[in-house]
Amino acid sequence: MSVKELNISPVGRVEGDLDVKVYIDNGKVTRAHTQAAMFRGFEKIMAGKDPQSGLIVTPRICGICGGSHLYCASSALDTAWGTKLSPNALLLRAIGQASETLQSIPRWYYAIFATDLANKKYANKPLYKEVVERWSAYVGTTFQKGLTASALPVQIYALFGGQWPHSSYMVPGGVMCAPTLKDITRAHAILAQFKNDWLEPIWLGCSIERYMEIKSWDDMLAWVEENESHKNSDLGLLIRAGIEFGLDKFGQGVGKFLATGTYLHKDRYNNPTIEGRNDALISSSGFFDGENWNEFDHLKVSEHVKHSWYDNQEDGLHPWDEPLPTPAKSQVLHDTDFDGQYSWSKSPRYDGHACETGPLARVVMNANPNNKEHQIKDPLFGDIIKKLGPSVFTRVLARVHEAPRIYKFIEQWLSEIDLDGIFYNKPIEKDGKGFGATEAARGALAHWIEIKDGVIKNYQVMAPTTWNVGPNDANGNPGPIESALTGIEIEDPSDPVEVGIVARSFDSCLVCTVHAHDEKSGVELSKFKL
Amino acid sequence: MANVLWLQGGACSGNTMSFLNAEEPTVVELITDFGLNILWHPTTGLQIGDQVQDLLKDIISGKEQMDILVYEGSLIEGPNGTGSMNYFADRPMKDWIKELSEVAGYVVAIGDCATWGGIPAVPPNPSESTGLQFHKKNKGGFFGADYISKGGLPVINIPGCPAHPDWITQILVAIAVGRIGDVQIDEFHRPKTFFTNFVQDGCTNVTNFAQKVDGNFGKRGGCLFYEVGCRGPMTRASCNNILWNRQSSKTRSNHPCLGCTEPGFPHHDLKKGSVFNTMKYLGVLPKEVPHGRTKLAYYMEAGFQKMMPKNHRIMETSK
Repeated sequence: MSVKELNISPVGRVEGDLDVKVYIDNGKVTRAHTQAAMFRGFEKIMAGKDPQSGLIVTPRICGICGGSHLYCASSALDTAWGTKLSPNALLLRAIGQASETLQSIPRWYYAIFATDLANKKYANKPLYKEVVERWSAYVGTTFQKGLTASALPVQIYALFGGQWPHSSYMVPGGVMCAPTLKDITRAHAILAQFKNDWLEPIWLGCSIERYMEIKSWDDMLAWVEENESHKNSDLGLLIRAGIEFGLDKFGQGVGKFLATGTYLHKDRYNNPTIEGRNDALISSSGFFDGENWNEFDHLKVSEHVKHSWYDNQEDGLHPWDEPLPTPAKSQVLHDTDFDGQYSWSKSPRYDGHACETGPLARVVMNANPNNKEHQIKDPLFGDIIKKLGPSVFTRVLARVHEAPRIYKFIEQWLSEIDLDGIFYNKPIEKDGKGFGATEAARGALAHWIEIKDGVIKNYQVMAPTTWNVGPNDANGNPGPIESALTGIEIEDPSDPVEVGIVARSFDSCLVCTVHAHDEKSGVELSKFKL
Repeated sequence: MANVLWLQGGACSGNTMSFLNAEEPTVVELITDFGLNILWHPTTGLQIGDQVQDLLKDIISGKEQMDILVYEGSLIEGPNGTGSMNYFADRPMKDWIKELSEVAGYVVAIGDCATWGGIPAVPPNPSESTGLQFHKKNKGGFFGADYISKGGLPVINIPGCPAHPDWITQILVAIAVGRIGDVQIDEFHRPKTFFTNFVQDGCTNVTNFAQKVDGNFGKRGGCLFYEVGCRGPMTRASCNNILWNRQSSKTRSNHPCLGCTEPGFPHHDLKKGSVFNTMKYLGVLPKEVPHGRTKLAYYMEAGFQKMMPKNHRIMETSK
């Protein structure tokens, strides 16, 4: 049978504009190309502007992980200016990051991922009826409860940041807020409601503590079978249906993982430096090459642009060294020549490797036996990655696995806030370079800044989806999603749901992916006395 | 009953995220109880690829009725007016929007990007972004000043970065239940019901503002207008009336209002010294003063208050 080409524009439910072209031979994808289809040029907008512009602009690159952008933007300025951070400031930033990620777990699971399992493709499976009843868009019984509960964690964010999305409450030197006892108490109460409305009764079917006893894949399987409550919980159904539907059999990807880590410890990052960051993280950073864990070094990060719609740039430059790129002429999907430029996304590489980033990468780092006492030590996904390998299923399981732990963290961090303590130390502005990073719900996020003559000279954002959705690099190696799409079987080319399932398992967020850079832009400086 | 199509252009999806936080009604209730039928939405739509293209074509040809077109994100015209920096469903998004606007019952622009260009339109505006019917303060935008939808209204602008979920849901409900006649719009096409009061109305620091007790970051009590650039007194929005996430607002959590429901946002185009800082003449006189007052009147009143001994009650704060 001859090779068929299938153009999918748009893929949808990925946050932003993703187009995909796949070549199909006998129903099987032999080659795939991802195309990020929208350009706004945020970093170009920031060049020449106030050094704190990133605090307002970068959360608005992405309304889904705006709090994560803010975490990075404030950290990048902390390292550039050499600020002092109080334990309270570090706690309140971590609480913001964690509540945004906790929100995203049910919202992503129900609204973006699980509705695909109600697709007619799975109609002949025994668990299909149950899946449709619970997870159909808008009308599914637990779709409704999960989507509604997803608004709760960000109420906590709003108590400290004023609103979610799009607050700028994390600033170099600390946070804007100085919460009171009633804010802390209320936050505890909202958290408890999230647990009682959804996390325990619907998602886990058991207590958080019981779930956190699971340390291996065998434990997990035994947990499902332990009683009807576990088995019939949404997590129990995901595990049973996931295996029955074969989600563990496709969407492997590149098998290499990168995490920039997050949650800077309240007592270990009071004098923020780039060098001191790895040791201060509670959720560790690292590069896992499929066999071994390696320490993360931001200087090993580079970007390729051979297949990106930017001209006049070399491949493989570190973000601080990337020159002014010129947006190139773009094409619609069906006119695109994939030997040339074909996406607004660049191709980030770590030490030359394409890496998957995201919750799966994070929980793999959590299983690193060298993690320190103050860092998460959780062997579960070290075991799962060995036994099952990466797939749509393991990626989804990793994403939802984090909810109970994040819940416990927020509870603990709230209790550690010292209401008599310091929340903000006013920093002294100066020129220099900075680096800030975190883990957005969907993966590694990093900002690099260079300040010169009191304004932004260069601002670089590398988002999780840039890592995952990027096109081929200069050496012809595909990005993680391109790689994960290769080999999948498409049953019905008029409804290529399999492509959607793979892309959505990465929780792609195209709105973050696209960026440009500029040299100093000559915008007139303020003439007013400060 | 109303059919809604929701599209995103130069968007961050923040308005969608805000919309999903809605309570009373929740998004689920909008659909199950208020008769909104979402034809497609980028975050929740079930159709993929050609299925979406077919739907758009059916709407344009009149085969499928579209009562409301919701647009989020800037309208990207770059480079050089081609719109090719934002392809969607196999063509420039702007070409879809143009044709859809001709068959829409009502067009609702959500968030600053869709209303007047927002952050993407800050100079040098690399993507040639604009709003549907305004470009910053100027009427016109992509559709032109004279555009009127089939329902007889120009683009209804629900600004904010993002827009509050209640502002969005209540306008959608008003259209769905036939009360759009009660929605009055102001000079920037904002529904007056949400954008007549100022952010300062209902701010917990309004007495500190009146008596000139200044606040700052990491500190309890005090008004943020004089030091860190709060725009609450010159920004029309109901943020301190209909709270955010049912809990708070920027100013209630000691975060200066950024003025994001006014067409100038981000004000002063982020130039040096304008971020979280009140720009002043001679180091003391705020360059911008509360809405409705002359500079001289404000400076005299504020100067008088500054000299007055402070009321003990106002200075008191508690953890």
